[in-house]
Amino acid sequence: MNENQRVQQVLSGNSSAFAYFVETYQDMAITIAYRICGNMQDAEDVVQESYVKAYKNLHSFRSESKFSTWLYRIIYNTAVTQTKTQIWTDSGEMQAESTLFPVDNSLQVDMEETERKEMVANILQKMPKGDALLLTLYYMEENPVKEIAKITGLNDSNVKVKLFRARKIFKELWVKRYKEALFMEET
Amino acid sequence: MEEKKHTQNEEHLIRGMMQGAKLKASDNLKYRIMQQIETEQALTPSKISDRKESGNILKEFGSIFGTMYGVLAVMIAATYFLFGQEYLFSPQFLGTVILVASVFSLLWLISRLDSHLQRKKKIENK
Repeated sequence: MNENQRVQQVLSGNSSAFAYFVETYQDMAITIAYRICGNMQDAEDVVQESYVKAYKNLHSFRSESKFSTWLYRIIYNTAVTQTKTQIWTDSGEMQAESTLFPVDNSLQVDMEETERKEMVANILQKMPKGDALLLTLYYMEENPVKEIAKITGLNDSNVKVKLFRARKIFKELWVKRYKEALFMEET
Repeated sequence: MEEKKHTQNEEHLIRGMMQGAKLKASDNLKYRIMQQIETEQALTPSKISDRKESGNILKEFGSIFGTMYGVLAVMIAATYFLFGQEYLFSPQFLGTVILVASVFSLLWLISRLDSHLQRKKKIENK
């Protein structure tokens, strides 16, 4: 059964069919909300509110777009409204130079999986909210630029520019953290 | 060429890192969401039925008392043409009007009582 058929099922009164959408997208939903809210409690509240909104407005969902894009757009709007923060800040102070990413094998072998996850989470936390969100949408969910533009309400070229900058900042912070970690290990 | 390869490697590496950083929703989140949806859904039809209910009362009221006023109008017209204007103010005629009005009021009361009992029964069955 595809997603459009499931949507029709929910619209015909079978509310339990909506559980599929909760189950499938809740992890990504919480990740997006967390990037904007900055804490898990608020992120969970935003996700809950967004799912209820999605359920109530399911009749307005147009099947030509992806359900995930439509849902993430609701989550994005709810989170931004709730936190009342400007997530697209100009991170001038974080301008990264052309940093070369250490793509050698040692980086991947030396670091434990959990350690790496922790470091990535830490870096994303330090990044401007909007940049961290773009990286999340682009790399975690492999959303194309067009879909990201629909979710965030930015235009395609804006997404590309911001994504380029976010990638640079991520690289810079990663290299910095990686060097720190190596230094800590040596001492 | 080499730069392109490096960029591809970077992309691959960042993707790998990011994939592992996806957060996990708490176990009870799905339950919380579904419970709220079920609750809101349960409340929505009752709002509709409440609206329906008040619509029914008005309809019933209109039809019973409409008929009553119709009957009274016919009675008044017939009395006026058959017995004249004076008879309309006689105690006999006024008594008949009150009787007709009481019968219709009783009828309306019975129908209200009946629908109330039926609704109560429906709630108990749920």
